[in-house]
Amino acid sequence: MSTIAQSIDGEAVTTRLAMRMEDSLQAFAVRAACFIGELDVPYSEEFDGHDFGATHILAYVGNEPVAALRVRWFQSFAMPERLAVIQRFRGHQIGQLLIERCRALAESRGCSTLYTQVLPGDVKYWEKQGWRRLVAEEASSGPKPIVAMVRAVDPSKPLPAAEAPESVVLRRETQLDASGLPLGTVSN
Amino acid sequence: MTGQKTAVPNLAPVVTIKVAATSDELLQCYALRAAVFMGEQHCPYDEEFDGNDYTATHVIMYVDGEPAGAMRLRWFQSFCKFERCVVLRRYRGLGIHHTINAWCKEFARRKGYTRVYVHLQKRHLAMMEKEGFRRVDDRVFNFSDHEYYAIYCDLDPSQDAVTLTTTPMVVNRPEDRLDVEGVLEKSAERGASNPHVHLDRRPN
Repeated sequence: MSTIAQSIDGEAVTTRLAMRMEDSLQAFAVRAACFIGELDVPYSEEFDGHDFGATHILAYVGNEPVAALRVRWFQSFAMPERLAVIQRFRGHQIGQLLIERCRALAESRGCSTLYTQVLPGDVKYWEKQGWRRLVAEEASSGPKPIVAMVRAVDPSKPLPAAEAPESVVLRRETQLDASGLPLGTVSN
Repeated sequence: MTGQKTAVPNLAPVVTIKVAATSDELLQCYALRAAVFMGEQHCPYDEEFDGNDYTATHVIMYVDGEPAGAMRLRWFQSFCKFERCVVLRRYRGLGIHHTINAWCKEFARRKGYTRVYVHLQKRHLAMMEKEGFRRVDDRVFNFSDHEYYAIYCDLDPSQDAVTLTTTPMVVNRPEDRLDVEGVLEKSAERGASNPHVHLDRRPN
């Protein structure tokens, strides 16, 4: 397993939670650079209404924000997502560093399960980091196939083989109405 | 042919442009700049967000409701500086940067400006010359890994330009809607009760 860089070109690699407005802006900028700039994701899909109920973790090289991860909190699991590393800082396992910071944060909150959704081509990468498919089946069909993956927050307490309810297997991003509630749940 | 008229769907994209007036609209400007300058042109965060964002006017452009382009305007005594102009990759090739430039020129004219100044990446000179921009002088300078020219463009003075004699309540309106009654004019209906705390009534 590759080691996580402690420094790059003499600049320390550090992580911290986004706690101030400027930190959040840095996280949004890093995500926009990677998802909107590189992958052509529309703004409205990238900034999907879940940003202010989530925790952002940032990685810095020196003072430069170079990577970000969004974590959403559910009763039975924590959900890291929107993992972004600025292109020229890739190859130093900074993504792993953020996932580990997320794992430690989840542990400190008494959470036992991490859950995420990945592209089929990335499953092997996540498996190397100790994740496994939530269900053995192939990726969901549709225009954007995704695979649900989980890992135990504490590696010494592995997750039961299948514990998540069916409804959690693939959590489709809910479309929100203007008040922030899932579309169709309130009649106005 | 049946001779019946069939409604032809309007396929032209709807382009709207406005001053970023809320935190969300401002975030859209920042996200688009991050996408283009940090994502595509590898600019470091602290060079892109250089400390001048909170002294500037930000303009956001939507195509069919989706954030597609942005511009930052800074106001100097003798000119308005257009900068950080971006159009997302998926919206390029439609010439919509000319649309946002034209909108910003009109916006600056209305505020009384007659000159626009730009630091332009060298490769874009021909494009901006078509819009009437000229090089200020022969200087070539570089920052954030690109070479730049200083260019400028003169604007026709606006008959409606805001001046000291403009109706005071017009000056108070949102700057991109100077012809529409603003929220403060509605507040005038409450009358003037001149509420404030009287310092001389404070204990001690």
